[in-house]
Amino acid sequence: MLHIVDGEVVVTEKRGAPTRLLRWFGEPMRSAWHHRDLIMAILRRELNERFKGSMAGWVWAIVAPFLALATYTIAFSGVVKLPNQVEAASQFDYALFIFGGLIAYSFFSEMAFRGPSLLHEYAHFIKQTMFPAEMLPIISTLRATVYVLIGLVVMLAAQIALTGTIHWTLVLLPLWLVPFLAFLIGMTWFLSALGAFTRDAAYLMMTLAPILMFATPVFWSIDGFSPNVRLLMYLNPLTGFIEIIRHLTVLGTLPRLPVVAWTLLLSLVSFYFGFWFFRRQRDRIADVI
Amino acid sequence: MSSSDTVIRARNLGKAYQLYANRSEWSKQVLLGAFHTYYRSFWALKDVTFEVKRGESVALIGRNGCGKSTLLQVICGILRPTRGELWVKGRIAPVLALGSTFDLESTGRENVMIGGAVLGMRRPEVLAKFDSIVDFAGVGEFIDQPIKHYSTGMRARLAFALCAHLEADILIVDEALAVGDAAFQRKCMDWIEGFREHGTLLFVSHAKADVMRLCRRAIWIDDGRIREDGKPVDVVRSYARAMETEPDDMKRFTAA
Repeated sequence: MLHIVDGEVVVTEKRGAPTRLLRWFGEPMRSAWHHRDLIMAILRRELNERFKGSMAGWVWAIVAPFLALATYTIAFSGVVKLPNQVEAASQFDYALFIFGGLIAYSFFSEMAFRGPSLLHEYAHFIKQTMFPAEMLPIISTLRATVYVLIGLVVMLAAQIALTGTIHWTLVLLPLWLVPFLAFLIGMTWFLSALGAFTRDAAYLMMTLAPILMFATPVFWSIDGFSPNVRLLMYLNPLTGFIEIIRHLTVLGTLPRLPVVAWTLLLSLVSFYFGFWFFRRQRDRIADVI
Repeated sequence: MSSSDTVIRARNLGKAYQLYANRSEWSKQVLLGAFHTYYRSFWALKDVTFEVKRGESVALIGRNGCGKSTLLQVICGILRPTRGELWVKGRIAPVLALGSTFDLESTGRENVMIGGAVLGMRRPEVLAKFDSIVDFAGVGEFIDQPIKHYSTGMRARLAFALCAHLEADILIVDEALAVGDAAFQRKCMDWIEGFREHGTLLFVSHAKADVMRLCRRAIWIDDGRIREDGKPVDVVRSYARAMETEPDDMKRFTAA
């Protein structure tokens, strides 16, 4: 049932402010659950295209991270000290260390590049049908998650093969992945809504992302810096996420609690700000795309 | 509230499009919209009030740009009305711009799965009806080909077949059937006639014969407002008379 008065959807049940607030916070999840079949249908289609459109299919998805990892291993095999001043347990630790950072960073950059043009890609859906456009950032983030998981599996396989170790902290990986997903979905909501109106958003991300890569501890660790500089570096949202995934996979230690709390806060803010922004612009988006 | 038989209720419905001088004004509105307005409004729908009861079949007629299509899109939930009240009950099958919503790179099968989900069908429901949809559309083995290899007529067939299997309460048909060949048009018309026995129909057409045949009520929309609402015979007659006497308004696409 659809009931709209003066541009606002009417919610029939009368409820107090706390319930309404809870409703608002639950709205993205409720909406995603409601559209789960649509999300899966498009996701299935996109993965099919990616993996069936080529002869070798899945092989590419595995070969790419494997080659990258092999390159780092060769390039950094002489380094005995990890960037966080810890003695490397084996010559491969440095490569794994970088690869962990790279997985998180490439997840981010994939969404940053694709976000601004996302709604243009699906213009034919958004324009003509009752298509829930706010599901698109969720779908494309989930799609990227598949590649990230492949990368993670390759990395862990290499870790077992090369160093013979695997850490119990891996079971905590969902605590990294879920907030990171929320952060990226929120970011993509914002970027895609902005990108619908102006090409500048795409150009901005194309300019920023490569620079950000070197301002982000992908190839180094922030532990070499003084405490004040370190605090500044946590302003880059990726810093915390990269640190956590390294702790959980390569180092096998628990991440620092303040860092976890900080990334959690960042993801909540990003998620709900992105959702709010997208919802606010949605009607205009249908007109402009 | 209205009686339980009402499925669509529109009260003082208005839809304004935002017109921008250029794209950068658009971005400014997005970023700074809270402080300043960077657009002019074009009211495609000005003030529309009507009710449709379950089982009614209503034709919407009017000139190009009078607001018919906007009204249909608002009722379908594609566009959100700017003011006024809209109340719609039941599942809607929008037969608008048939086939243009398909993704060209995806196969017919993938598009049916996605399209079905967009229209509110659950996955098991689409799977159960899949063969019947393909049969109705008559696209045969092409179902596993990308839509870009389909002809316009084939796209329309598949899109209509999907809508026909929706078990919708309200069928909304824009001048979309024109692309199919005569045999397929007749098949669609027959299907729509059957649908009328249990469902509600909103029908836009410039073909007088179809309006007379399918509808028991006609609404004439002129300049974003309802000009006449009544029996198809009467409304179509006064519409035709107006078309002869009133000149084509060159200014109607201009913002006030």
